[in-house]
Amino acid sequence: MTRRQFIPLAGVAATAGYASLKLQKPPKVPDGPPGSSAVAIVRARSYSEDLVSHMLDGVRQCGLDVRGKKVLLKPNLVEFDSATVVNTDASIIAAAVELFHRLGASEVKIGEGPGHRRDTLDLADDAGYRSTVPKFESIFTDLNRDDVAAIHGFAGEPDFYFAKTVLAADLIVSLAKMKTHHWAGATLSMKNFFGLVPGSIYGWPKNKLHYIGIPESVVELNRTFRNTFAIVDGVIGMEGNGPIQGTPKHCGVMVMGSDLVAVDATCCRIMGIDPEKVDYLRMAADLGHVHPGRIEQRGETIASVHSNFALIDEFQQLRLL
Amino acid sequence: MSSVGGVYLESRLKLLRQTQNVDGGWGYFPGKQSWFEPTTYAMLALHGRPGSEDSLERAWKLLRSWQTPDGSSRPNSQVQGGTWVTAQAVTLACVRGIYDDKVRSSVDWLLRVVGAESSVAMRAAAFFHLLKTKADVSHQGWPWRDGNASWIEPTVQALLALKKISKSYPSSELERRVADGEALILSRRCSDGGWNCGNPNVLNYDLPSYPETTALALLGLQGRSRAELDQPLALAARYRAETRSSLARAWLVIALRCHGGDPQPAGQDSSGSIDIMLTALEALGHPEGNYRLLETGGAA
Repeated sequence: MTRRQFIPLAGVAATAGYASLKLQKPPKVPDGPPGSSAVAIVRARSYSEDLVSHMLDGVRQCGLDVRGKKVLLKPNLVEFDSATVVNTDASIIAAAVELFHRLGASEVKIGEGPGHRRDTLDLADDAGYRSTVPKFESIFTDLNRDDVAAIHGFAGEPDFYFAKTVLAADLIVSLAKMKTHHWAGATLSMKNFFGLVPGSIYGWPKNKLHYIGIPESVVELNRTFRNTFAIVDGVIGMEGNGPIQGTPKHCGVMVMGSDLVAVDATCCRIMGIDPEKVDYLRMAADLGHVHPGRIEQRGETIASVHSNFALIDEFQQLRLL
Repeated sequence: MSSVGGVYLESRLKLLRQTQNVDGGWGYFPGKQSWFEPTTYAMLALHGRPGSEDSLERAWKLLRSWQTPDGSSRPNSQVQGGTWVTAQAVTLACVRGIYDDKVRSSVDWLLRVVGAESSVAMRAAAFFHLLKTKADVSHQGWPWRDGNASWIEPTVQALLALKKISKSYPSSELERRVADGEALILSRRCSDGGWNCGNPNVLNYDLPSYPETTALALLGLQGRSRAELDQPLALAARYRAETRSSLARAWLVIALRCHGGDPQPAGQDSSGSIDIMLTALEALGHPEGNYRLLETGGAA
């Protein structure tokens, strides 16, 4: 067999091998770090409720202290489609800005680097951020086009670049949207960190992350940025063909915590998804807790707010049994 | 330049002149790090304008200093390794009439770089329907960064550059890559007639086109037959009227003008914006602007 004949066959064999691995039962998720993590589930039936009070309730249940810290709020701003629920709701952003000021943060900024659309400021305008968040333009940074600095060792890369606004934050708060995702199964607080990567270097979309691997990139981003907190907007989430083309799903909750793995695992259980079958959560077990026995569920119980999110055929195997 | 529109154009050019960094480049926003991309568009907008020569010379000198030994260009001074902006270096060189060894090495880099999805393994995977996207992986196109997949925007930027330089550096490989790049764009048209930034279909779901990517694709397809482009040009005109994105409007106006249209100037409502790239693109697309610098005429 010549080399020219071998290479395509090797490619097919590798691809087929990968496909068969994907069909195998996933290995047991490791126990994770010592101790347990608090995750608060707070009811919020609509965006017109007093969201600041609801958030304050959840943050206190998680014991978060932000006094004197520079806080960066990272929403999930994706698409010009104000008629649907693709973006984190503007009222969640406004409430979080007020919340962290009230809690004594020295600075509260908002930053986002959308994955596909390049016109970030007009996206924010369309999503209602400019009109809803006081002084929005003075506290918002387009992370795709900010000044950058390198860090070393991200995903084995000698240099990997992030916006200086991200690197300067004492605490990054993932203001994610509760959505299904056609590549990852679910996009929640951890996957939301894709928006920390600058498009000016890695493109629109940030294709480098796809080549590192989507679950691998999610884990690596969360390994890199450890001073984090999550507030997941599940008031109205997205089911079906998320994260963009799905349909609205009323869930009426916000989910919060400092352990983003535990927050996302909790969100998955609320959505009727088995978190132990979600690749990036399995791979992130050394960063936080996936097992329900290691998550201190505060506020509402999962059972009281559980509502199965519709899954596309590709991800039916993720359904929590 | 005495019309109201002319006054608007002059205000955009004035902002560009006022926001050039000390190092000669432009940031995406005033006072921020210089980047290759906004510097390119600012240079194109100011090209040939009286009193801009020194400014343009300083900018060009900076961009040239970002060329790496392999011929590619870095996107800013902080970043190691070249990216898709190498195509913009070639386009700028053509505009400035510079055809030296450095430009040659940039062209060679562009001809060397291909989208990773055209690899043998990926083509085999596509043959056995193992990919989650519907894409014709027989075409090579260009990625944002070497080693990644091809996307519409970097492919368009490479096409603009190679078409512009084709008369100075004619080669069969250049002709082949241009033809193949155009074929890639045509193969990735969405079912609504425009272009998304990548594939038109994922997991058997059609993706919608984006206004800005549709505009860019049309720029890359200059020289194709009218019959091929009638529908996307009509869609672009509709997007021009409907889109809520200032950036998309600016690109659409440039694309429509490069295809012989005469759309209303983009973004007179963006006069308060300090977005340098948007400012430069709006200036380029103005009726008296330099949009012709992005014209490529027929294929190579």
